[in-house]
Amino acid sequence: MVFVLCTLIDSMGSLCSRHRRSPADPEENEQTAEIERRIEQETKAEKHIQKLLLLGAGDSGKSTIFKQIKLLFQSGFDEAELKGYTPVIHANVYHTIKILYEGSKELSQSSEDSLKFIVSDENKEIGEKFSEIGGRLNYPRLTKEIAHEIGTLWRDSAIQETYVRGNELQLPDCAHFFMESLQRLSDVEYVPTKEDVLHARVRTTGVVEIQFSPVGENKKSGEVYRLFDVGGQKNERRKWIHLFEGVSAVIFCAAISEYDQTLFEDDNKNRMMETKELFEWILKQPCFEKTSFLLFLNKFDLFEKKVLKVPLNVCGWFKDYQPVSTGKQEIEHAYEFVKKKFEELYFQSTSPDRVDRVFKIYRTTALDQKLVKKTFKLVDETLRRRNLFEAGLL
Amino acid sequence: MPMFQPCRKDGGDGDGRILDVESAVKDGVLGGGAVAVYGGEKLDLKKMIEELNLCEVPSVFICPISLEPMQDPVTLCTGQTYERPDILKWFSMGHYTCPTTMQELWDDTLTPNTTLHHLTHTWFSHKYVQMKKRSEDAEGRASELLANLKRVKGQARVQTLKELQRVVSNHSTARKTVVDEGGVALVSSLLGPFTSYTIGSEVVAILVNLSLTSEAKMSLMQPAKVSSVVDVLNEGSIETKINCVRLIEILMEENDFRPELVSSHSLLVALMRLVRSKRHPGGHLPALALLKSISTLKEARSLIVSIGAIPHLLELIPVLNPECVELALSMLDILSSVPQGKQALKDCSNTIPTMVKLLMRITECCTDYALSILCSVCNLSAQECSLRAVDAGLAAKLLLVIQSGCSPALKQRAAELLKLCSLNYSDTIFISKCRLTRTIQ
Repeated sequence: MVFVLCTLIDSMGSLCSRHRRSPADPEENEQTAEIERRIEQETKAEKHIQKLLLLGAGDSGKSTIFKQIKLLFQSGFDEAELKGYTPVIHANVYHTIKILYEGSKELSQSSEDSLKFIVSDENKEIGEKFSEIGGRLNYPRLTKEIAHEIGTLWRDSAIQETYVRGNELQLPDCAHFFMESLQRLSDVEYVPTKEDVLHARVRTTGVVEIQFSPVGENKKSGEVYRLFDVGGQKNERRKWIHLFEGVSAVIFCAAISEYDQTLFEDDNKNRMMETKELFEWILKQPCFEKTSFLLFLNKFDLFEKKVLKVPLNVCGWFKDYQPVSTGKQEIEHAYEFVKKKFEELYFQSTSPDRVDRVFKIYRTTALDQKLVKKTFKLVDETLRRRNLFEAGLL
Repeated sequence: MPMFQPCRKDGGDGDGRILDVESAVKDGVLGGGAVAVYGGEKLDLKKMIEELNLCEVPSVFICPISLEPMQDPVTLCTGQTYERPDILKWFSMGHYTCPTTMQELWDDTLTPNTTLHHLTHTWFSHKYVQMKKRSEDAEGRASELLANLKRVKGQARVQTLKELQRVVSNHSTARKTVVDEGGVALVSSLLGPFTSYTIGSEVVAILVNLSLTSEAKMSLMQPAKVSSVVDVLNEGSIETKINCVRLIEILMEENDFRPELVSSHSLLVALMRLVRSKRHPGGHLPALALLKSISTLKEARSLIVSIGAIPHLLELIPVLNPECVELALSMLDILSSVPQGKQALKDCSNTIPTMVKLLMRITECCTDYALSILCSVCNLSAQECSLRAVDAGLAAKLLLVIQSGCSPALKQRAAELLKLCSLNYSDTIFISKCRLTRTIQ
């Protein structure tokens, strides 16, 4: 009876197991064993990789941070990758001039002092031409002649006036930088510099990831991070939810210079208000209960210049702002105000059981490599301390 | 013989109560050397004893009456030695015995014990010279470290700061050196938006040991610097957290202190977390003290209420020690002066029972605060609250207050509250409510 039972169980076993270990196939067994070993190793390694998520509204600087990390902690961009950005940069140039020209036409009709937005006759022709080109799917190569024409149009006073009102248009932040480098960009032998690549604007769609390890000063092997960059526009956000599990930290980018700008996808919505709502939504996500939140208040360089000219209270969220002085002090004061608002928002959107999450605010200018490196060192320190704390070692 | 327990304060070499003969010979204490001088002057024994403030002095030098080192030892006919003023006092009380041997004295002569005096003086001088040297070493070291700090970066900077912190916390003379040589400004300059935790925690640990001038405090009051201190507070070990709390308190003492620097969610939540920490009770008192100081600033009050401080405090009061309870109550009293605070107190179901329990329980101060809070809440919605209060035994407690030795003003308020509560009941029923339900401990 027992003998029969044993045989039954034995054969049940071999029926259920996925790998039929029949002694008649040693090579296959060897392979399967090898695969199993590899799977086990990788699962173990995976556990030590910390997942970082770059989130934020469109145009908040996520991809720039992503590029910086690539430059700082990976091998950077090789010549082929750099050259790969040339069409993007050229596209940015065409796009910019089109927006500026069409913007000037609009402002010359709707604005009170419409006269200053009227482009000179010679330049009008150029403007119309680029308006048409900019609307195509494929752009012609940026030659010296074309660059010269664009440059002439750029220097037209009407266009300059339009540039000042750039916040009312969907003008990319790299506009000024590229417009002032037209000659260089149109050179036949042009290879984009790192700085050019950092400025280049392409709307991210889908998800991009890199794995890196910020090597410590004493060259001990540090943490391994996997950084995910996503598209920020509203239609991209439904793709985010697939990434939300098992995240160590969310790096939320908020461009603080855009308090007077509207969304690309919705001309009536103020960008800062959108960022506010987005941040709130993310904070309340159930999967982020234990996740550390690192808030990058980005585009400080643009904020510095803007805040002295455009008062913060044009944005509904900052309507109770009172300027106190001028110059550097005022900039600091305005920054502290914005920081406090975000802090307030964080604590209001965080239920009591989550209040122990790590929450830190960093002032960043994603284009400045040194600053990003410094900032990331601090981020690394915070996350490492958090890990030690959770392991009970602190 | 001496009853006190010696404390290991001066890095003791062995048992300090015994005069180590070997080292005494080596150091010239047992004679053979000239009278010790320091800085060209003969050292005054009294001054040395005070400055050194040693816990472990050889017992042969200690007077059995005063348990202090003897400065003017005299020997009785029994051969026992005492400090002159102390034995004279003993005699003046009518005793004519030797305090230690209990023998009756056949001779009331007091013989100055020159040998012992000499030994005492030499021993203390030796220790004094040692201490001075260590101090100078510390001062020199501090100077060196400051100079280093100006040059180095990265890991070297962290090490320099750590050593500076050690030197400064162990030697008061080093502290003065650091302040005199512009160390405060140098160390403070390391605080900013890009300060790492490692550097930030050492900077705070150094600054709390130094006496900061007004100017130094003002320069620390920049929002970016205060922010980095708050960050360190959030991330730090319990010792670091306490240091941060102390530093902020030091800054708050300044006249020109700007309230908006501490009206920060991060800071208040971090402090509240410290107060509630079960793992580190040592943090309760400093955190509460700072929270209370902050609550005295009008601007911060509604913010404190909004982070849920009131329910947290009420929950904690039963388990805090008396000092902390007084601080917590004083805070609740201050917060009850703003509408949100009053509302939060009323909304919390254990406000009234907790306050009633605290009346006449701990100190008069606590009773005062508890009464004031009860008045605030009852005035907000007299009917409902006074009913609950009386059910919790308020009436009996108020009677206790009125009959106690508390201040007249307090008794007056108690009487008024009692009257307010009694309005809801008929006389007989109210009197029954006045009976004590539990013995007051």
